[in-house]
Amino acid sequence: MKMKTLLPATLLLAVTLGASPALAGTEITLFRFFGGCSDEYAHVTDLSKAVGECGIIQVLANKFNAENKEGITVKTQSVEWGVYYDRLSANVAGRTPPDIAVMHRSVLPNYVVRNLLQPLGKDFATVGIDTADFVPVAREAVTSKGEVWALPFDLHALLWHVNADLFTQAGLVDAQGQPKMPTSPAELLRHAETMKAKTGKPYFAIPSGSDPMPAWQYLTWVWQQGGNLVDAERKAQLESKESKEALRLLNALYAAGHANRKHDYAGAQQAFLAGQAAVLVNGTWGVDTYAAQAKDPKSALKNYVVRDMPNLYGKEAVWSDSHTWVLPQQPKPDAAKQKAALVFLKFLYDNNLQWARTGHLPVRASMLQSAEMRALPHRAEYTRTATIATALPPIEYQRAHMDLLVNELNSTWLVNKEQDKALSDAQRAASAILRRSRHR
Amino acid sequence: MNRTFGDRLLLALLIGAAFVWMTPMLWVLAMSLKPNAMLVGSTRGILPWPHTLENFATLMRVSMTPRWLLNSVVVAFAMTALTLVLSSLAGYAFARIDFPGRRAVFLLVLAGLMVPEQAIFVPLHAMLASWEMHNTYFSLVAPRLAAPMGVFLMTQFFKAVPRELEEAAELDNASRLKIFWSVMLPLSRPALTTLGIFTFLFAWNDFLWPVVTATQPEMYTLSVGLGSLQGNFAMSEGLGFLMASAVFASAPMLGVYVVFQRYIVQGITMTGGK
Repeated sequence: MKMKTLLPATLLLAVTLGASPALAGTEITLFRFFGGCSDEYAHVTDLSKAVGECGIIQVLANKFNAENKEGITVKTQSVEWGVYYDRLSANVAGRTPPDIAVMHRSVLPNYVVRNLLQPLGKDFATVGIDTADFVPVAREAVTSKGEVWALPFDLHALLWHVNADLFTQAGLVDAQGQPKMPTSPAELLRHAETMKAKTGKPYFAIPSGSDPMPAWQYLTWVWQQGGNLVDAERKAQLESKESKEALRLLNALYAAGHANRKHDYAGAQQAFLAGQAAVLVNGTWGVDTYAAQAKDPKSALKNYVVRDMPNLYGKEAVWSDSHTWVLPQQPKPDAAKQKAALVFLKFLYDNNLQWARTGHLPVRASMLQSAEMRALPHRAEYTRTATIATALPPIEYQRAHMDLLVNELNSTWLVNKEQDKALSDAQRAASAILRRSRHR
Repeated sequence: MNRTFGDRLLLALLIGAAFVWMTPMLWVLAMSLKPNAMLVGSTRGILPWPHTLENFATLMRVSMTPRWLLNSVVVAFAMTALTLVLSSLAGYAFARIDFPGRRAVFLLVLAGLMVPEQAIFVPLHAMLASWEMHNTYFSLVAPRLAAPMGVFLMTQFFKAVPRELEEAAELDNASRLKIFWSVMLPLSRPALTTLGIFTFLFAWNDFLWPVVTATQPEMYTLSVGLGSLQGNFAMSEGLGFLMASAVFASAPMLGVYVVFQRYIVQGITMTGGK
């Protein structure tokens, strides 16, 4: 065979054989929050022994390190949640990005628009990750300009955590004796009045100080009316009638004493666990903690149940976000590390159900409906959340947008700022942020 | 010693005020001795009953804790020693050596007090990245050595030292360096102690720069390392461990306060508060 034909043939053979460089000994960095527990779970590879977000992701990494046939090692870098994105940005700016990083779906647009992430659609097909199996909201969450930019790992959404005994005491139960959820704002206020009159306890415990929880509830009610934070042209819509109505309802609840405006995250949770509130507004991540507390004979919370977000305005919706895994662009691309990272992402995809043990919902439709999923405590009570989960619009500077919204909304019940003034101030600041992002 | 009624009243008020000030610290200590699961339900009460040392044991089981402690010690001592050397030399030059542009350079140094540290993070980070110097003791210490406050403090102190002392040394043919070393430095011990204590406290508690430059766990300082162990809901579900971390990290500093209390008070008076 002549050299002219031998060379392309050799190249073709290399491509056919996978063109993947040898992966044995390849070490990749996994940059994440969720806490540090590598010592607590050192050498543990049995997933049934892992508890909580940190434990499960650590044991998944341990198991992968112990069992992958390619000889890849995943090295975890755990970063405190509060400074996580600053650290990630610093690493990217310093040209030392990690090989894999966890990223909220709401933050993804910031990195995509700056071309800091690797597109993954074709690579997913190569390693066997089927994006068609993702539930629609998760698939949309990681898709932009027709390209897939991340592996969605969960849906975490707002739920109503319910003290069923207080509902029974208040007579707010249906024919099956289950807590009766409101179906309109007026009915919610009536239920709250009944709760207070019959039990002496407020209906809600909502983390209300500097917490985003009320803003997430507000967004849910805006969406349930058909409104949104931005319109189709990405102009802020914070002074819309839907926005005003959602804020009015929140303030009506605080003003009538149906929620304590001074509660922070821990305070609201403690009130609920002490049997001092009928409904705790919190996310999917709290389910197992409250279920465990309810099993404690000394706990005031005895009969704990979970409910999907009630529909008060007609359109089904609930605030949600996702943890996703991304591969940052590398200043010096390394084919072996790239391939190794994809192999690990496939492993995470295969083990998506394990992550559901944190309380979050899996993003794979096949796992969401599985018997294993339904067998997990309380999960059958909120599977509908996956179908009504609504994501924040994919705008740049999402966190800044949310921060100003949280500040303005919270000021209406914390320092009695006039509601219309708070929304017009929020509208002005949000417009400035959106103008900046549109110019990019 | 006979105390007047007024003295006794003042003493009682001060004890009351001290107790109010100490309550949050006692509360932190109490929570560090309670099980995490219990704190999810309630954080009330100073008396840690039932109590446990499990949170501290968990902290000790983290294999990197001694390394992070060592890093903090190295960084704090290096930063303190180098800041003392640089600030005292610069302060002496500004106070005593009449070089061209002295006033302008001194104003430039003082202008550094007005630049917030966050404003220079990006260029500083990029510069160290281009040198591939992140994750080193150099990157943890060197950017913090530009201490305008230290230079200002030492300059003001040296200015107040009578010139006659230097002149007497000059008559004995002492060189500039000899005068600095043998005359001025011994006299400046109170100022150096103050500067040293404040620098050490700053270095030990520093979080923002170390969290940016130290990306490898092996180079974390104690504050960054303990932070990296926190889960997303540490404030509610891992509160005992969080408080144990706070107690562990602040214990050496409490020791510094106790031992150097007199100098710290002196320092606050000298610098007009920091």
